[in-house]
Amino acid sequence: MSEERKRTAKEIIESYDGPALRIMEVCGTHTHEIFRLGIRKLLPEQVELISGPGCPVCVTPVGFIDEAIYLALECGATICTFGDLVRVPGTQMSLAGAREKGAKVHIVYSPVDAEQYAKEHPEEQVVFLSVGFETTTPAGCLSVKKAREDGLNNYSMLVANKTMPRAYEALKGSADVFLYPGHVNAITGTELCESLVQEGVSGVVAGFTARELLTALAVSLVKYQEGKPFFVNCYPRVVTREGSREAQRLVDELMEACDSEWRGLGTIPGSGLVLREEWQAFDARKKFNMPKIEGRSNPACRCGDVLQGKCKPSDCKVFGKGCTPQHPIGACMVSNEGACSAFYQYS
Amino acid sequence: MCVGLSAKVVKIGDGVAIVDAGGAKREIASQLIEDLEPGDYVMVHAGVAIAKITDEDENETDQLMEDLF
Amino acid sequence: MNKTVTMAHGAGGKQTSELIDEVFKTHFANPDLTADDAAVLPAPTGRIAMSTDGFIVSPAFFPGGNIGKLSICGTVNDLACMGAKPLYLSCAFVIEEGFPMEKLEEIAAAMEKTAKEAGVRIVSGDTKVAGKGQVDGVFITTTGVGQIEEGVRTSGDFAKPGDAIIVTGDIGRHGCTILLAREDFGIEADVTSDCAPLWGTVEAVLNTTKDVHVIRDATRGGVGTVLYEIAGQSKVGIRLDAAAVPVAPEVRGVCGMLGLEPLYLACEGRLVIMAPKSEAEKIVKVLRQCPYSENAAIIGEVTEDQPGRVVMTTEIGTQALLPQPGGELLPRIC
Repeated sequence: MSEERKRTAKEIIESYDGPALRIMEVCGTHTHEIFRLGIRKLLPEQVELISGPGCPVCVTPVGFIDEAIYLALECGATICTFGDLVRVPGTQMSLAGAREKGAKVHIVYSPVDAEQYAKEHPEEQVVFLSVGFETTTPAGCLSVKKAREDGLNNYSMLVANKTMPRAYEALKGSADVFLYPGHVNAITGTELCESLVQEGVSGVVAGFTARELLTALAVSLVKYQEGKPFFVNCYPRVVTREGSREAQRLVDELMEACDSEWRGLGTIPGSGLVLREEWQAFDARKKFNMPKIEGRSNPACRCGDVLQGKCKPSDCKVFGKGCTPQHPIGACMVSNEGACSAFYQYS
Repeated sequence: MCVGLSAKVVKIGDGVAIVDAGGAKREIASQLIEDLEPGDYVMVHAGVAIAKITDEDENETDQLMEDLF
Repeated sequence: MNKTVTMAHGAGGKQTSELIDEVFKTHFANPDLTADDAAVLPAPTGRIAMSTDGFIVSPAFFPGGNIGKLSICGTVNDLACMGAKPLYLSCAFVIEEGFPMEKLEEIAAAMEKTAKEAGVRIVSGDTKVAGKGQVDGVFITTTGVGQIEEGVRTSGDFAKPGDAIIVTGDIGRHGCTILLAREDFGIEADVTSDCAPLWGTVEAVLNTTKDVHVIRDATRGGVGTVLYEIAGQSKVGIRLDAAAVPVAPEVRGVCGMLGLEPLYLACEGRLVIMAPKSEAEKIVKVLRQCPYSENAAIIGEVTEDQPGRVVMTTEIGTQALLPQPGGELLPRIC
């Protein structure tokens, strides 16, 4: 045993000779870091890493981009967005394409900045594209609360925020071990992940540095060999059992659950969020009487299968041919952390 | 899904804080965290402090490895 | 004189001469700059290098320089990369109507100072005024001619397996400075542009050894883009030691906040040099004594493997491909 103690996480991973297993990194930032650090090259053959659906850009349906473009071009709204969404293809064009046609697209670091922009530009109708998971949603909620405090009537959000619990249900059989998204857990806590152990789902909460990722993987491999479902919080410096009560309260005050479409996964009941009735003045769909817009994605694109671990990016017909980071067809090729983009760039 | 940056709190305001990461400073929203004080480290995402960091380093990984065996 | 540039200043009459006399000639005066249609110059012996570059930068004034300094450095450095001592420059201005005269004066002064430092003469110029909104402040185009040092042959085609890769200082400062100066993201950091004329630097290297294969200035797209360009041109692989690449902590902090890669941020005073390993230590030693390259470092090597690709040795000792440069730098949350 004392021999064992000296082994580093990296050595444990490299020398793993246990049964074959599939580990899904749920979070796109994990996907990105795993590629950046070349971690896949350390893994023995029988350990497969699958990139999950935890990239808000990748799971945002085509119709959402079409809605944003409608607001920009038809309603003349100024779109404030995270940089990630600018190149995501809509049915006919991306926001970058709409910008060439005269759409006003302003890139922000934080939704709070979008609200500030609206305050400084009272002559413009400003819409923030609110995407993201539990980690990002509170920031959007803060911006809406601030807009009400500031008495703004030119700020609203196009909401497509998503939550993970129902998605975990949908993904249950896709992997043997889940690397849970550390920053989502920072908000939600770990109770849900712990309770999934009862249903036979194993996983560890992982941080994002090289050391944290290697440790999380080593813990996964050692625990998996013990043969019982497990949960370990490998990111305790940031993630606590209860998470951020303040953030949970804030989101609950402004938003409620709704059914939500995930690109590739289809509609998952109760996995999305909308602004509650008393906050609807800030809901861009209501404010601009948005018609129902159904996006069409390229039928050759297999982003959906990639996100569920059903195929590798390289199995898709358009991968690397029609679809490259410079000219993405599917959303997974757009974001730096998209499974296809990461696969294309690093392998 | 969420890029996070650990940064040091250098100044506290009303619901906001100034954080410093290697000399890069920015105002962030700090409403989600109670009792923040200058000198604390926080994890920042999209301009909001989402968690107080108990250990600015990753030394916890050593403990996790110890606990494994 | 008017306090701002007007359309009349570009009309070719009295006010045009006034603008030229009072702003440009005062700063650029030298025996080769005359009122004639073209500069008449002695033909240099040997081979010459010639380069042209257009400069648009918003904002035109930034910590560490302005568009004037940039317009001299850019062309001087392009010449220097070919081992050419810069001799003559021409410059063409397109100025937006309403541009403050005082600012134009400041730009011309910076050009004078930088040209002097680089040992280059401005021998020909042109001024046009464009209507309000047709250009953003001021655009400058400079063209330069330089004399190539005897025995020197550098090109992006000449990288050879076994070459060491040297960068002359910490990277990404110019791109980071401009990003911050635009104030789009509310970030403050004490970063100044690395904008500098580098003929002196190259001359010092060439005085030490002429056995240098590639010199390139890592401007738009940064060091990462330059490495991919050279890997493609020379059909070689490039191995980069991630930990050896010098990056100022502030630049790293800004990149961390916005999710950007410092290797893709522009520099305006940094060279990537490839030379045989046997020469590398010497080159770094002399670079570290030059004013703009105290932090010069060997950051990798040229290899035979994976031609056209840039592979990084990561902090955990694995090899991972540096993602290819991909257009507009967009800050990301995920």
